[in-house]
Amino acid sequence: MPVLEVRDVTKTFPLEKSKISVLEDVSFSVDRDEFVCLVGPSGCGKSTMLRIIAGLEKADSGEVLFHGQPQTLPNPKITMIFQLFGLLPWKTALENVEVPLEVHGMKKETRVEISRSYLRMVGLEGFENTYPHDLSGGMKQRVGIARALALQPEVLLMDEPFSSLDELTAKTLRELVLEIWRDPSLPTNTFVMVSHNVEEAVYMADRVIIMSPRPGRVVGEVKVNLPRPRTQYLRDQKYFQSVDEVVAILEKSQHEAQVKSQIA
Amino acid sequence: MTTSIVYFNQGPLPSQDQGTGLRSRRTRVQIPAGPLLIVLSILLFRAHDILKSPLNQRRLILVEESLTAGTHMHRRLITYIVGLGVLAFAFWLVMTFLKNPEIQSLPYYTFRTLLRITITLGISVAWGVSFGILASTNKTASIILVPFIDLLQSVPILGYFPAVLILFVSLFQGSELAIELSAILLLFTSMAWAIFFGVVGAVKGIPVNVVESARGFGLKGFKYARHVILPAIVPALVSGVTLAWCDGWFFMIAAEYIEYAGTTYWVPGLGSFLAKASYVYDDVALSIILLVLITAIVVYINFLTWHRLMERATAGTYKPVLKLDLSGVGQLGVIKAIGPSRWLHFGDRIHWPKAHIAGSHRLRRYTRLEKAIALVLALSLVSFIVYLIVPQISLDAIKRGFSSYPADELANLPSYVALTMGRLGIAYIISLSVALGMGILAAEHKKFAAVFYPIYDIGQAVPILALFPVLFIALSRTFGGVVGLEITSIVMLILDMIWYMFLNIVSATKNIPSEIREVGKLFGFKGFKRITHVVIPCILPAIVTGSILSWGTGWNTIIFSEYMPYGANTIYLDPATINQNYTAYEMVVVSLNVSDVTGLRTWQTQVNFNASHLQCINATEGEFLKSAGKTQFKNGTIDSASGLIGPINSTLLESGQGVSGSGQIAKIYFRVLRSDNSEISLSEKTKMLDSDGRIIPTSKAYSLPGLGSYLDKTGYLYGNTILLILLLGIIATIVLLMEALLWRRLLRKVERYHAEV
Repeated sequence: MPVLEVRDVTKTFPLEKSKISVLEDVSFSVDRDEFVCLVGPSGCGKSTMLRIIAGLEKADSGEVLFHGQPQTLPNPKITMIFQLFGLLPWKTALENVEVPLEVHGMKKETRVEISRSYLRMVGLEGFENTYPHDLSGGMKQRVGIARALALQPEVLLMDEPFSSLDELTAKTLRELVLEIWRDPSLPTNTFVMVSHNVEEAVYMADRVIIMSPRPGRVVGEVKVNLPRPRTQYLRDQKYFQSVDEVVAILEKSQHEAQVKSQIA
Repeated sequence: MTTSIVYFNQGPLPSQDQGTGLRSRRTRVQIPAGPLLIVLSILLFRAHDILKSPLNQRRLILVEESLTAGTHMHRRLITYIVGLGVLAFAFWLVMTFLKNPEIQSLPYYTFRTLLRITITLGISVAWGVSFGILASTNKTASIILVPFIDLLQSVPILGYFPAVLILFVSLFQGSELAIELSAILLLFTSMAWAIFFGVVGAVKGIPVNVVESARGFGLKGFKYARHVILPAIVPALVSGVTLAWCDGWFFMIAAEYIEYAGTTYWVPGLGSFLAKASYVYDDVALSIILLVLITAIVVYINFLTWHRLMERATAGTYKPVLKLDLSGVGQLGVIKAIGPSRWLHFGDRIHWPKAHIAGSHRLRRYTRLEKAIALVLALSLVSFIVYLIVPQISLDAIKRGFSSYPADELANLPSYVALTMGRLGIAYIISLSVALGMGILAAEHKKFAAVFYPIYDIGQAVPILALFPVLFIALSRTFGGVVGLEITSIVMLILDMIWYMFLNIVSATKNIPSEIREVGKLFGFKGFKRITHVVIPCILPAIVTGSILSWGTGWNTIIFSEYMPYGANTIYLDPATINQNYTAYEMVVVSLNVSDVTGLRTWQTQVNFNASHLQCINATEGEFLKSAGKTQFKNGTIDSASGLIGPINSTLLESGQGVSGSGQIAKIYFRVLRSDNSEISLSEKTKMLDSDGRIIPTSKAYSLPGLGSYLDKTGYLYGNTILLILLLGIIATIVLLMEALLWRRLLRKVERYHAEV
């Protein structure tokens, strides 16, 4: 049984007097230990899809199943990291990691200990008492990752986690995320990432799910059969084939959407 | 101390041939016009409700969109004409059915006030635009101007107003022009900031790339101003002008009618009429009707002009501007006192001012150079004022100031400060908690907001100074005089302080970044925990700025809220009305009585009567003062042409404590010339002193020990300018110290961790 199953999810947002359709009958599933990437043009509703899975938004129709059970509210087993990090600016790095533990009523000492260990894991030892204001973008995202892992979730959702970072920092953090994914000692093993960077998606994911321009529908899926770690395959023919495949599907759906809007 | 002849100030008097004569400074309200008040507030409420409900606004937009340009204009024109008709009808109604000797001057008063505000607005716009552009484009000018304007803003307007007035009066030898000019200056000081800061904000908000490309195309000097700066400041200017306009209306009441050291200065206008309705005519119904009328005029003019301008002006802006449309809050009402407008110059997308950002702009850290310049400016300003005042006030006068009343109470000053701070503190805590609850609810729940905003609108549109007596009557009936006043005072402070907090909290809550909200939701913050862990920390800068504004306005209000005259006079004529039951040539003996006085030693008065109806024969002394020993009595001279006898005075010659209690102090004999109704009244010059030379107030009043009532006593009762300046200095010092030691530090700390959300 897949860990996550998205079934016919449809979502519209009210826009002034009319409605705008963001997602249309989106269905896919994610297996245990799988790394899935959602790609699509901006505004296609991939971030909304992620928020529906996280329980931050409600689907108009359709459902999300987590281990076969309907998933509609925020769940400690499913967590998320944000594009703009979502750190609480009035809390230090350590206190930010403590936040989810605090909500779940953990004792101060235990949660400080756990938070410290996760900060160490993401390489932020010595920055525990620094406020987000004084951290670089990459460091902020590291805090975001540590915070997400602190509750030992099963599923990690990532909403364009590297798109507001410079390429070098993004590269390092991609490796960090992949390490976490592969680490058997961590219970977090099912990853869903949203990206509009096809190379990034192909590099990281087992499977790339491609969405059409708004309203977002699933228009294709590409399995990436490159062995891991993939650092060595970055110049490989197979890698480029997968990238081309994804780009082709994207372009086709975009073209179709253009024709459609011209007819309309 | 011995007192022989009492010196009295002179000045233009408000016409006051009504009532028992003695006019107390505030309303002596005997009958609250309860039912009328309720009906009127419902009407007012409905008007706001209908005009401002978001639903209606949406409907308006829909209507506007679906109409062609022609019918659109047509409809608008109809609205204007109907509005004008309604106003005219209201005027006619008021002028026909209200019995007041001045009611026929209402259109003239309206005209004068409109003219005054328009002139001031013109000056404010000219000043705001020129100095705003200067301050935002020229670094040197900014370094000098901004601290200077900050400085001017920190002093409570109502505080330095008497000083300005006295200066003008002495410059123009008491002509009406002096009062007119000081009224305009007061209005200007309340209107100019909104425009100035609006312009500065807008010019600074021009994106760098626009500036650079304009430079690239070689736009310079006037052309640069014409094509880049002017288009950028138009929306800010329109919103600033609207706010300034509303502010001006509020301050009008304070600016058109000023009382200082027992003398009343006033200029014809709606504001002075409103003030007279309470203070002179004691007519609650009239004051409420005038309030409603003024609100209606403001709403009509807003609808006619600014609202229309705003629609056009916001179209092509760089960043969203604080949009003053009908669905906003508090834009059509008479926006409350002491300029919230100063803070509303930064726009945002949801029609709410980002007041906290504006506040931090003001409280930004100065560079050392700016600090030095601010200090030099402050010093030169102070020395300039000293230079102006010193030739008029000699060293002797300063000594006299410190040796005459109420300087004897200076020893109590620390406890007065503590008590007043206590009142402000309690009011602040209550406003903070209520504003937090209401603000967060209003920002996050649309249904609550729909109910709450109209209430908010009316709440902040009611001029607080006019509300004071009504509130006091209601509370003193239940709790008794002093306790009633204590509660009234705190409620007044709350009503005054809460809006800034509320406004800031709502706007900040609405601006909480969505990622922060999502993080809160994702990690399971719910209910109260979400409020304390996510919402409140996130809006903390706004709370701090709101607090600063609240305390600032609180200090202004405290001057008015610790002292409350309650109707009855301590000196009065009996009978005060000679009616038709007296036939011609009949003799009438009018008794001059005192009631509940303590230690009366000397008194003086002057009596006005209708010379065509009565003839004054003589005045003799009553038994009250004589009961303590020998007195020196003067019966004054009779002026039969203008109907005046005085000064009548009497002084107890025996040493001792004077006389306490109630009794008759004089008898005045009149002969009726023809049978008619007319009133006899005591003039402004009525004064009573006790054996220490302290003034015995002519009307009974409750007074709370505190800085506010002390200031009141010093300025309004004794006219002790030296002491008044000292007290204002103390208040300014407390305000600035609190700002420097508490608020600035807090804000700096809070902002550091909120810089990037």
